[in-house]
Parts: sequence; C-alpha cells; structure tokens
Amino acid sequence: MALKTEEMVLNMGPQHPSTHGVLRLELQLEGEIIKDVIPHIGYLHRCFEKHSEAMTYPQVIPYTDRMDYLASMYNEFGYALAMERLMGIEVPERVEYIRVIMGELQRIASHLVALGTYGADIGAFTPFLFCFRDRERILHLFEITCGARLLYNYIWIGGLSNDLHPDFIRLTKEFIKDFKPNLKELNDLLSFNAIFIERTADVGILPLETAINYGVTGPNLRASGMKWDLRKDDPYSVYNKFDYEIPVGSGEKGKIGDCWDRYFIRVREMEESLKIIEQAIEQIPDGDVKSAIPKRVKPPEGQIYTRVENPRGELGYFIISDGSLNPSRVKVRAPSFVTMQVFPELCKGFMVADVVAILGSIDIVLGEIDR
Amino acid sequence: MEEVESKPVKRRTKDLNLWEKIYIPEIIKGLALTFRNIFRPKFTMEYPEVKFEPPASYRGRPVLVQEESGVERCVACGLCSRVCPALAIEVQAAETELEKERFPEKFEINMIRCIFCGFCEEVCPEEAIVMSKDYELAFFNREDALYGKDKLLVPASELEDRIKFLRQYK
Ligand code: SF4
Ligand code: SF4
Repeated sequence: MALKTEEMVLNMGPQHPSTHGVLRLELQLEGEIIKDVIPHIGYLHRCFEKHSEAMTYPQVIPYTDRMDYLASMYNEFGYALAMERLMGIEVPERVEYIRVIMGELQRIASHLVALGTYGADIGAFTPFLFCFRDRERILHLFEITCGARLLYNYIWIGGLSNDLHPDFIRLTKEFIKDFKPNLKELNDLLSFNAIFIERTADVGILPLETAINYGVTGPNLRASGMKWDLRKDDPYSVYNKFDYEIPVGSGEKGKIGDCWDRYFIRVREMEESLKIIEQAIEQIPDGDVKSAIPKRVKPPEGQIYTRVENPRGELGYFIISDGSLNPSRVKVRAPSFVTMQVFPELCKGFMVADVVAILGSIDIVLGEIDR
Repeated sequence: MEEVESKPVKRRTKDLNLWEKIYIPEIIKGLALTFRNIFRPKFTMEYPEVKFEPPASYRGRPVLVQEESGVERCVACGLCSRVCPALAIEVQAAETELEKERFPEKFEINMIRCIFCGFCEEVCPEEAIVMSKDYELAFFNREDALYGKDKLLVPASELEDRIKFLRQYK
C-alpha cells in the first residue's frame, strides 16, 4: 500500500536565475514529482499595446524592440511588414535583402542565447561563454550598422534607418567563416555530451497533437515533428529566393519532441540561417534604402494581420487603423506567450530538477510574454 | 485534483556500463577543450580599465551641438520634443538678437525617460541634436537625471565623426 503523502507547493521565482526573466512558477509537488505547474506572469508588463495607441505609427517601432529583446530586429521586421501591407508600400529589393540578412543574424544571435543559457541552466558553463562570444560578434555587426546593440530601431516602415556600413559585408563573411567551426565545437562540447543528453533526452516530451492544440509554433513545434515554418509556408519578403532546409525533430536521442530535440533543432536552424545569409550576401542588389519611406505614415482605414517567423515562432501583428496618425489598436501574437501555456503539460510527472531543463528548452522571453 | 500519472523515473532503454556511468571520458573531452582555449586569444575586455570605443554609428546619449561661438545650434523649433516617443524632451523657446532669431531658453532631456531611439536626431532640421558616444550614464538620484543645457551642450568639434556619419548615411 502506498503511503499517503501530502502535496507541497513550491514557489520557483520570480527571482530565480533559471526562469530566464521574472517568472513565478507555482509547483505542486508530491515528493519530487510535479503534479501541476501554475505559471504567474505579468511582472514585466509595460503596456506595450495600450501605449502604442498613444504613439504615431513610426514611434511604435522602438517599443516593438522591447518586447522580445533578444530578437528585436525581427519584431521590427514584422511590424514594418504589417504596416507596408496596410499602406500598400512597395519596398526596394535592397531593403528586403538587408532585412533578411539582419533577421537571420538575429535568429542566430537569439538561438545562441537560448542554447548558451540552456547549457548553463543544466550545469555546463563553458558553452554559455562560447555562445556569448559568438553572439558578441553579431551584436557588433548590428552596432556598426545602426548604432545599438539590442534595441535597434533599424527597420522602418518602408525602408531602413540607414544603409549598411561599408565593412558590414566583409565582417559578416568573416563571421560566417569563423562561426562554422565554433558550431562544431558547440556540438562536441554540449550537444553530444553524454551528461547533457542524460539530462535532456526523454524529458518534457511534447507530442505533436498537444503542440498543435495549444498553438505552439516555431522551433518547439518543429521539434515535435511538424515541418511548419512561415518562411516557407507563408513566404514574406524575399525568403522564397533562397535555398535552405527546414529542420524537424527526429527523436535521435530519445522520443520525438523531447528537450534534446528542441535544443538540437536550434543548432540546425543556425546552420540553415548561415546558408540564407551567405546566399543573400551574394545576391544583394544596389539601391536606396530610404526611397520608399513615407513622409507621413497615415494608413487608410482598415485592419491587417501579418505574421512572421520569429526565432521563437509565429509573431503576429494585428493592427487596426482608423485613418488617423495613431493606431487604433495594436495586438501582438507573441510566440513565447503561447508556448508558455503548454509548459504545465510538459512538466507533469517529471521531477523538480527537470522543470529547469524543460523551461530552458522552450526558450521563452519574458519581455514578450508580458509585453 | 486530477491524478497525474508519474512517469517512470528510469528512462533509458539501454543500461550504461560502469565506464559510461562514471562519465570520465565526457569530462576529459570537455576539459581538453578548456585547455586548448587557454592558448587562444582572449575575447573579453577589462572594462573600466580598458574603455570600449564605439563606432561612429553608435547611439549614445543625445547631446546639443555647440558652435565655436559658444551658442547652441538649436533654433527651438520643438520638432524633437514632438517626435520623441518617450516624451523625454522639453524645449522652451525665446527670442534672440542672433541671426537664428529663436533659441531654446530651456532645453531639458529626462535621461530616465530617453530610450536612445535617435528619432530626435533624425528629425532635427538644423543638425543641432545628435547622439554622442557617451554610454556611461549612472545617476544617484532622479534630479541628476534631468539633463539641462549645461550638461547637454557639447562642442561641435567633439562630434565630428557622428555628424560625418549622419551626412553620409542618413
Ligand atoms: S533618443 Fe529618442 S527617446 Fe531619447 S530624447 Fe531622442 S527621441 Fe527622445
Ligand atoms: S529639432 Fe533641433 S532645432 Fe528643433 S528644437 Fe530640437 S534640437 Fe532644436
């Protein structure tokens, strides 16, 4: 006969290094086994959506940066794309290419943070430093181009704030050359490390059906075995001009959709992003990046939903315009927010130590969840 | 509460042998890499001793350009304060005998509010407000964070490369 035990409630966070921000998890435990997890969010709420109603359309851009602060370029990209579709602006080719290059560099930078901090959560500190070393070079590329390291305000409605730095192409090529061996090093050090695999394989399995039911997108969905990437499935910008693969999870080290799969899908995505950048750099045309920027951003009455494939999944902007200079409503579909909902499902039945492994593997950014 | 079935704790299909269980090869593999890196170049910077020199495109704290004569370029048109998404700038205009006719009697940027977006610089018709390379901004109280003209004015000669960058790229 089993002993009758009492349930215990354990608070993890809001000040906890492995919650990746300010998130409080209420763990309901029976012994060491998780019965349920209740995430408490909102500590980083900054009223982005309401605040943007008081801003003019271009003024919203610096604020979109502050949602997913690890993928600011992509937030701007999505917003600019939505506004261009709403206003019917044709963007010069060069702008599209630069946006794609920036977006993919940002994807690599974001994944590097995800992988590095994930290793650190689980106990491997060296890969964390290596990842940040490589990310630093990407941030430097952004810095020489637009002047900021995290919050760029670079992609504007109809164009870019300024053209590329003359050294940009050369430095990017150098970065790609140096980064490829580093990626292999990361694989040796972390991905195929037996201790790491032990901690992550067969942990936090996300079955495909659950993922779809919860609306999970991005690398987390692909790790569960579905080939769904908006860059291919709902092409925007110039993504259909490049040749690249969409990696999906294979359950190599355990069951399909486990933490290891979610981790490794990001490593493989970085390789694909490198391919896109290489091709884009070769093909980039000349042009004026500011020629299509409207003097006054005053879209016609109407509404639009535009989605892009952010490093974390489907980032959607729903914008309602009442024909004035300020948006009437800006609603953001934040991929991390959606992924957070499936988190309790992933944790049930695992141990307390696995919560950290699972939380790191879904790669959430609290700035985006709370907005 | 609904019953949650606990997953089997033992998850491996194949049992590890003793050699694998002590993880020594994995640890040696990791350490080998660590040792290799001792001889590689350093990639960190010893910050307060070694200062980071930002590129000309860097958007640090916004400053007002001061002409050689000692007056500011600003004509107090107020565009920057209107475009600022963070409502950080306050300009009060006054008349002057000089050629530009108007000058800012009071020009204040609240550095707690400023988000370093660079819109003020972009919109200014006179190239009078530019983003400097100054990134060391720490205050001990809120009053210190209100930068008035005394702290904002910077001689044009110190801002040359930013102004050059603006003419070339913006
Ligand atoms: S940089 Fe942006 S936030 Fe700061 S004062 Fe200028 S416009 Fe305002
Ligand atoms: S936009 Fe330029 S000239 Fe006008 S008030 Fe601001 S700093 Fe002065």
